[in-house]
Amino acid sequence: MSDAATTMTFHPQPQAGAARPWAFPAPERTELSNGLTVLRCHRPGQQVVAVEINLAAPLDAEPAGLDGIATIMARALSEGTDKHTAEEFAAELERCGATLDAHADHPAVRVSLEVPVSRLPKALGLLADALRAPAFPEGEVERLVRNRLDEIPHELANPARRASMALSKELFPAESRMSRPRQGTQETVEGIDAAAVRAFYETHVRPSTSTAVVVGDLTGVDLDKALAETLGAWTGGAAERRPMPPITADDTGRVIIVDRPGAVQTQLLIARIGADRHDRVWPAQVLGTYCLGGTLTSRLDRVLREEKGYTYGVRAFGQVLRSAAPDASGGATGAALLAISGSVATEVTGPALEDLWKVLGTLKEEGLTDAERDVAVQNLVGVAPLKYETAAAVAGTLADQVEQHLPDDFQAQLYARLAETGTVEATAAVVSAFPTDRLVTVLVGDASQIEEPVKALGIGEVRVIQG
Amino acid sequence: MPMGHTATEQAGSGGLTATEHRLANGLRVVLSEDHLTPVAAVCLWYDVGSRHEVKGRTGLAHLFEHLMFQGSAQVTGNGHFELVQGAGGSLNGTTSFERTNYFETMPTHQVELALWLEADRMGSLLTALDEESLENQRDVVKNERRQRYDNVPYGTAFERLVAMAYPEGHPYHHTPIGSMADLDAASLEDAREFFRTYYAPNNAVLAIVGDIDPEQTLAWIEKYFGTIPSHDGKRPPRDGTLPDVIGGQLREVVEEEVPARALMAAYRLPHDGTREADAADLALTVLGGGESSRLHNRLVRRDRTAVAAGFGLLRLSGAPSLGWLDVKTSGGVEVPDIEAAVDEELARFAEEGPTPEEMERAQAQLEREWLDRLATVGGRADELCRYAVLFGDPQLALTAVERVLQVTAEEVRAVAQARLRPDNRAVLVYEPVQGAEQADAEADGDHDAAADDNDAEGESAQ
Repeated sequence: MSDAATTMTFHPQPQAGAARPWAFPAPERTELSNGLTVLRCHRPGQQVVAVEINLAAPLDAEPAGLDGIATIMARALSEGTDKHTAEEFAAELERCGATLDAHADHPAVRVSLEVPVSRLPKALGLLADALRAPAFPEGEVERLVRNRLDEIPHELANPARRASMALSKELFPAESRMSRPRQGTQETVEGIDAAAVRAFYETHVRPSTSTAVVVGDLTGVDLDKALAETLGAWTGGAAERRPMPPITADDTGRVIIVDRPGAVQTQLLIARIGADRHDRVWPAQVLGTYCLGGTLTSRLDRVLREEKGYTYGVRAFGQVLRSAAPDASGGATGAALLAISGSVATEVTGPALEDLWKVLGTLKEEGLTDAERDVAVQNLVGVAPLKYETAAAVAGTLADQVEQHLPDDFQAQLYARLAETGTVEATAAVVSAFPTDRLVTVLVGDASQIEEPVKALGIGEVRVIQG
Repeated sequence: MPMGHTATEQAGSGGLTATEHRLANGLRVVLSEDHLTPVAAVCLWYDVGSRHEVKGRTGLAHLFEHLMFQGSAQVTGNGHFELVQGAGGSLNGTTSFERTNYFETMPTHQVELALWLEADRMGSLLTALDEESLENQRDVVKNERRQRYDNVPYGTAFERLVAMAYPEGHPYHHTPIGSMADLDAASLEDAREFFRTYYAPNNAVLAIVGDIDPEQTLAWIEKYFGTIPSHDGKRPPRDGTLPDVIGGQLREVVEEEVPARALMAAYRLPHDGTREADAADLALTVLGGGESSRLHNRLVRRDRTAVAAGFGLLRLSGAPSLGWLDVKTSGGVEVPDIEAAVDEELARFAEEGPTPEEMERAQAQLEREWLDRLATVGGRADELCRYAVLFGDPQLALTAVERVLQVTAEEVRAVAQARLRPDNRAVLVYEPVQGAEQADAEADGDHDAAADDNDAEGESAQ
């Protein structure tokens, strides 16, 4: 058989054409008469509309000893209303071709609806019923509690989840809600009942502290009318915004091994906390973190994956935990988790961590190159139109901005700021985000095989806990 | 280049239209314009998957897919990733039983780059392929296998179900990830031979969807792909013909360190591309697709014997499709109790069929899933390639949702009666064994931990 390579005609790499401008969509912000804030955004062609509801019910508002109640409340919103039983409600939603998800995290409870635009008004009606008049039937709440208890062993068995849990416990002070599992422990979940769920709902859920984000192809939709007849009928009094407790963390360099005898891989989670989106270093931190571990051509995977084959992929990222608007003195009070995560074969855990620390050390000594910075900017800015093709992606980012007390044009401005960020700033930001002596390392793996090699690295005290 | 016909917009296609073309070397091309956003997807399907692999070389199609990202005549090392990402694009490749796909979503003004890159590796991969890349990607893929299958609870369930539903020697008996031993055994010569056999313009379909100028795009395609020689080295996959039903209940009990008992089962279902497959999709949706499904209502809501219960469908065109039941038990509930309830629900459904309300809900759910796939240019390009490669006609993608909406309740009942029966299933039971000390009862993370991802689509490069 002839070699194909010798017979095709090669051409030089083509040059890019002229870019067509694209901007992150600007939402229109209004307020309904009940105080509900509405952000809307018309995205031509997006037939599946995304609705994101932000409820100001943060995890630190959960009553003492009832960790997980925000999660149970979020799930119970769709377990029956003043019009439908739980089973009827699920059936009505699916009749619209809709999906409805709700979950609780540190800053807020988020409810996400997706539905074909032709059935938007009807689905908005169901969503409004769930928010306005949830039935919280005792039997359904009891079932959700039992279901939640059944889920806990599944989460514990998952190496990535187990790592994240161990990290939270290690990083944050015991009195901080952030040190404890978001969805509660067996002990706290067992104590949750319908009365407690209703009390939590009545204290923290009301239109005046909530926001609805609606994104999709709204051609021919009378959204004002649809909103007025649905979410507009939700009533509730005013409330003070809860003050946000400061976030502190102990990032003394150390290693915690969660023992998993016989595990064929070690799950890594290496982290500390740092700047959130209110901090002016954010764009530089995004850029630098991408260069460190944003993709398989970033520094970490270039060595750990593409040179050594130790892993399917290791990523570095910054994920906002909770943010508030800067206080009177202008200082930011929020924080992001800055982390490196992935999994490596058990037998190369020591060498992989050694290489990882070498990558961080080299980055500090030599800095990023201009070429690296340029490619990262081109990617981060260039992929924006792809990343935000769907209504759900746009709605999610707009709701995140609301949740983090950011202006509605934050993401749009971020792209301009990224483009202006230089190599020196990006280097400084990532080096200060990942200092080699201030990282908490959690390893979920076989302690009998990995403890000694990890101790030998000298990256901090090594402690083994039961898996 | 001979031009194909231009489709007119069809009802229910969401405004999607596509034109077809074929280069002299046999490369089929599908174009679809959409100027709403300045992006375009380049999607290339090769008609080769794990079903083409031979004994002792499972996992080769997927390992080879990784090698396609290791450079070609004019692209060095990781250049494929670097150039696309540096152009503001995103990319990946995936391997399933029946095909291997490669895709780039690009800002409009960078589409030509993606075409140049795909053509370069289609025509010249072997000039760059070396032992070092193979050794490296072999290790990466073995770690992918550990991460996604061997180091997670129930991780090998899908592999075990497939191995029972498709007998020893059948081309679908093994999954695309392959075995560790076969991954170790793959040689550079195997990889070269695989490329020479299956990677040719006449064994591929290229779809470009989005903000494109069709004439300009076709000119680029002709320029970059037009001189790649075609060949007829391809061997058809081994015959995948099987009886419609297994003909008896198969059963495997796995004792492993898992968090809860589980009952899983695989049913042989009609081939993809048939009206019966759409009917089966609706049946599985009514029975186990979401929070208003019969199994969820029975096991999770009423009996409270399960933490999660549902059905998934793996559509296959060259062998019977696979319906996958997945139930994780609650507390100390025993598997036979779950099994009896499942049997009862399936038997009742086979007898009575879906109610009109259930049909309406299931069709609305499948319609939304279809709209979700069409919401991105990448999703649309992938669907056009799928229908072109597996069924010979990309236009079928435009009417897929119409066909699902035309299925009747009686057809849904009939397929359930014919296929969702105990003598057509392979059952997999998990019984937990205690490993080391029981962990503290605490947990963290996102919601829906217990609902396992039933995505059996395949393996990807990143």
